Amino acid sequence: MPETRTWRDIPQQVRPRAMSREGRRRVTLAAIRGAVGAAVLGAAAWGAWEISAVLRENPSSLPDSAKSDRVKSLVLVTDGVLDKNWLARTLAIPSNATLMGLDMIKLRSRVLADAQVSSATIVRNFPDTLTVRISERSPVARLMAQSSGEQPRMLLVSRDGVVFEGAGFDPAMVASLPWLDGVKLVRRGAAITPIDGMAAVAGLLASAKLEAEGLYRTWQVVSLARLASDGEIEVHTRGGMRVVFGTNEDYLRQIARLDLLIDDSSDPTRPLREVNLALGSQVPVAYGTAAPTLGDPAPAPGGAAPVRPSISLPAFSDLHADANREL
Amino acid sequence: MSFKTTFIGAVEIGTSKIVALVGEYTGREIVIIGCGECASRGVIKGAVVDYRAATECTQSALELAERDANEKIDHVYLSQTGAHLEGFYNEASLNVKAADNMIEKDDIRTVCELAKAKDLPLGRMVVHHIRRPFRVDGRLVPTSPENLVGQKLEVGYWTVHGQEQRLADNIHVIRGFNLEVSELVLSSLASGHMVTSLEERQNGVLAIDIGAGTTDYVLYRNGVPHTTGVVAVGGGHLTNDVSIGLRLTWEQAEKLKLRFGRAVVQARDKAEKVWLDGNFSIGDRQFPRQAIEQITAARAWELLEVVKRRLGHAFAPETCAGGVVLTGGAAKLPALAMCAAKVFGTAARLGEAPSWVNENLRDPGYHTALGTLYYGVSVQGDRGAAGRGRGGFLQSVTRLFAST
Repeated sequence: MPETRTWRDIPQQVRPRAMSREGRRRVTLAAIRGAVGAAVLGAAAWGAWEISAVLRENPSSLPDSAKSDRVKSLVLVTDGVLDKNWLARTLAIPSNATLMGLDMIKLRSRVLADAQVSSATIVRNFPDTLTVRISERSPVARLMAQSSGEQPRMLLVSRDGVVFEGAGFDPAMVASLPWLDGVKLVRRGAAITPIDGMAAVAGLLASAKLEAEGLYRTWQVVSLARLASDGEIEVHTRGGMRVVFGTNEDYLRQIARLDLLIDDSSDPTRPLREVNLALGSQVPVAYGTAAPTLGDPAPAPGGAAPVRPSISLPAFSDLHADANREL
Repeated sequence: MSFKTTFIGAVEIGTSKIVALVGEYTGREIVIIGCGECASRGVIKGAVVDYRAATECTQSALELAERDANEKIDHVYLSQTGAHLEGFYNEASLNVKAADNMIEKDDIRTVCELAKAKDLPLGRMVVHHIRRPFRVDGRLVPTSPENLVGQKLEVGYWTVHGQEQRLADNIHVIRGFNLEVSELVLSSLASGHMVTSLEERQNGVLAIDIGAGTTDYVLYRNGVPHTTGVVAVGGGHLTNDVSIGLRLTWEQAEKLKLRFGRAVVQARDKAEKVWLDGNFSIGDRQFPRQAIEQITAARAWELLEVVKRRLGHAFAPETCAGGVVLTGGAAKLPALAMCAAKVFGTAARLGEAPSWVNENLRDPGYHTALGTLYYGVSVQGDRGAAGRGRGGFLQSVTRLFAST
């Protein structure tokens, strides 16, 4: 179809000399208005940028009116167990501190210094409230650590391998966690470096807890000693049985085999002593001579005492000589 | 929906005068807030022949209008006249595509594009595409035929086109004031819309706008413009004939025409004389009244005959129940309606602006500028807000014009 040209195709630009004096004056005025508008916008943007830069870099340089209100309340929003007392202890805000006088970056670093906190956001809510939103780590295992000259102390380990002291958790829940063995803790500065391979262990523990809670409750020690070298996780039960899990095979399948074996070996005279599930469908099993007992190890009447698994206390290694130190 | 208030200028660059109006448009309604008028120079028969003179006059009118409105105009609707404007009719038909013969939007778009697609001679540009009613299997459909059932869809367009240089000259006169022309409106459409009612346009009416240099006409049928045209003859030619016939200057002839000219000869006494000035000043003379009337009547008759000839078969008294409506500065010639009634063989009357127009703007000389503003806003309003009721818009315009 032919394209018809309409009057709108006529270019409406005219040369300045074809304009009247009033027309040229209007063009000049429009240009001046545009330039002034652009300058005002630019100045406003520059001012906003400068103010935000001042606020970011040095909040104390704010005018007195902006920093006159003191912090009257702290609000903690968390997905875990930490409470307001912990927050007050951690932040340690002086009683005469004003909201605008607080160094938010420093406060956030204080909150994050507790390894139990995985992320934190601190917000000023005017006029006088400081709101802290945190996300906490949950423990999947525990371990005993001892540094030179100190008493051993219990630490908790999260799914991502972060070791923390753990505050506010239910003691019964903590007591139900298995112990970790065969790990070497390394300090880097004030913190402990995360334990390698904890994701695999956490996966095994989660599968067991979810699918076979009865078995999980008997697990006392989980050893990572052969995890890095052989890809195996050793579990020692309260009854003295040693179970080896492989990290290359589905944990659910291995747990199901273990459950089947325990069900089949109901003979109290030949208790299971060792089960190796890391070899695939071939499961070597070693039998003992005394019946295993569930729960706290107590001497079986008339039988041999169950073998207690030995727990070695991990000591901090000195991998980074300048930054790391022994506890 | 929020709409920024704009100040629209409507400009008519005529042969005898230039009129500029300022309308405050809020998106729903328009109020005329300023008017400026200036004697025209550098314009002959609607065409700019002296750019600088025409620019100065136009800009004087615009400045007066802006000062009257106390606002700056944002953009301009410009009325367009001149003998270079021509029109032709082109139609297209289409077999409906859908299996159930229901007409879809695509069919309508295609048939409209076909009807509008026609090559123009070099240097010509389209000013208006005026759509006539659709026909579905020969049945007239005044509105959209979408979802109607039929086998054949037809539509026709009356295309008004003009010479590129003439159009550009007029636009550049406005641009010289650093204002953008956002709509060109044919003078006949502008004035025709002002002096005819919706009912008259539906029944068929011929509107003739007789200016000083040109005569614009539009014939309405079925509510839409059917044929438009421009004749390069206007009230100035009557003055010219009086000037030649009675050996007078242009100004003297204009004075006599305005005082004693008639479109139908009434004076029976050949001896009846009229004074040129009537103030007994030196040079004041007497002229036979009948001669003046004969000259003006003959010219008026001839002018209307030309219009009738141009319309040809398109005009027939039986399809023009609304008759003939006359407007424009030269339409004030006494008995012109009687003359038109005789020429066209149908009722004729002098067009009047609607009752809501302010008393100061009711003179036929303002009808084109008023119509330019009104028609331009309605065209742009329809284009901008599809689906908004035209009647509602017109009603709001009516209400606000009344308040000016």
